[in-house]
Amino acid sequence: MKTSKRNLWIFCVAASVTIAVAFSGRLAGQTAAVKPSGGSSGSGTQWSLQVERIDPGRLDLAHSFQVAIYENLLEELNETKRFKYVLREGDGKASAIPDLLILKTMVVKYTPGSETQRAVTTVSGATKLTVRSQLVTREGKIVLERTVNGNVRFFGSNLRATHNLACNIAKAIKQSNVAMVRASYRDTQLPTLNADGT
Amino acid sequence: MYCLFVLRNDKSGCFGGRALISLWALLLCSGIGALAQSTAAPLNANAPFSIRATHVLGLPNTKNNCNGTLSIQGDALQFQQNGKPGAEVNIASVRALFLGEESKQVGGLPVKLGKAAAPYGGGRVVSLFAHKKYDTLTLEYVDSDGGVHGAIFEVAKGQGELVRNELVARGVASSSGKDQPTKQSTSEVTYEDK
Repeated sequence: MKTSKRNLWIFCVAASVTIAVAFSGRLAGQTAAVKPSGGSSGSGTQWSLQVERIDPGRLDLAHSFQVAIYENLLEELNETKRFKYVLREGDGKASAIPDLLILKTMVVKYTPGSETQRAVTTVSGATKLTVRSQLVTREGKIVLERTVNGNVRFFGSNLRATHNLACNIAKAIKQSNVAMVRASYRDTQLPTLNADGT
Repeated sequence: MYCLFVLRNDKSGCFGGRALISLWALLLCSGIGALAQSTAAPLNANAPFSIRATHVLGLPNTKNNCNGTLSIQGDALQFQQNGKPGAEVNIASVRALFLGEESKQVGGLPVKLGKAAAPYGGGRVVSLFAHKKYDTLTLEYVDSDGGVHGAIFEVAKGQGELVRNELVARGVASSSGKDQPTKQSTSEVTYEDK
C-alpha cells in the first residue's frame, strides 16, 4: 500500500516536471520568436510597411470582403509593432520614408459560406479565403511570399474570415521577420510557404 | 340655345387657334413639371438624412460592430454611436460606394446560448428561422494624405439603396458599382484562380 502511494507520488512529480519543462520550452520558443524584433532594430534597419489594396484576381469577391481584409490587415500589422510605420495605399508620406516594404495581397481561392448553414448543420457553410501575400521592396524585389488561409467554420459572421485571415498574415510576417530583413537585398525569390511554416 | 349654337359655330372656325392654345398649355405644364423635378434634387441634397446602422469596421475612433445613426448632413457622412461623439467622412473624399446583401443570425449571445442548450437539436431548427437579411454599404474614401480607407456599414434591407441615392445626389461618383452579394447557396462553390 505504502509502495503504491509512493509510486503515485513519484508519478505526479514526474508529470508536473514534464509539464513544467514542456511549458518552459514553449515559452522559450515564443521568446525566440519575439527576439528577432530586437535583432532587426539592433541592425539599424527598421522597416516601414505600405499595405496595398486587395487584388481579387479573377474571383468574384465582394467589395466588403476586400475592404475588410485591407482594414483588418492594417490593424493587425500595427499591433505586431514590427514596423516603424504602417501606411495605407496612396499615402503621400510613403515617398519620404527610406526603408519601405510594400505588402501586396492577391486572393487565390474563395469559398463563400453561410452563417445560417453553419448554425444549422455545424459541418458545412464555412467561409474560406486563401490569399498570396508578397512583401516587395520599392525596386520590386520580392522579399517574402506566403500563401495564407483564413476561414470561419462555426461561430461568427462571414466577415469574420477576413479577420482570421489578417491575423494569419500578420503572424506569418511576424514569424519571418529576420528572414525578411536579411533577404531584402537578395534578388532570389523565396519559396512559397504556408502560414504554419510548412 | 341659339346663341350658344352660334357661338360654337363661330369657335369651330378657329380650331387651329384652340389647338395652338392647348399645345401651349401642355408645353407650359410639362415645363413646370420638369422644372419642379430638376429643383427637387438639390432640395433633397441639402436636407438631412439619417438611418439606423451598424458600423462593422473602418471608421476612425469608432468601435467595430457598434450600433448608431448614419446621417448625411451637408457635405459630410456621419456615424454617431448612441450618446457619443461621432466619426465623420467628407463626402467629397468618397471614391467608391458598393452595396451588398448578407444574411446573419439574430439574437446575439443569449439566443446562441439558448440554442446550444435546447435539447434534441432544437437549436438548429431555431437557427433555421432566426436569421435576417440586411444590406452592406461599403465605402472607399481617402484621407488628407491620400491614404485609402474603407468602411463597412450594415443597414436594414432596402435602406442601402437610399443611402446610395443620397450620396450620389450629393456628388459621389455615379460610376460606383454594385457589390456582388455573397452567395448564400446550400452547396459550397469554390472559385479558384487557375
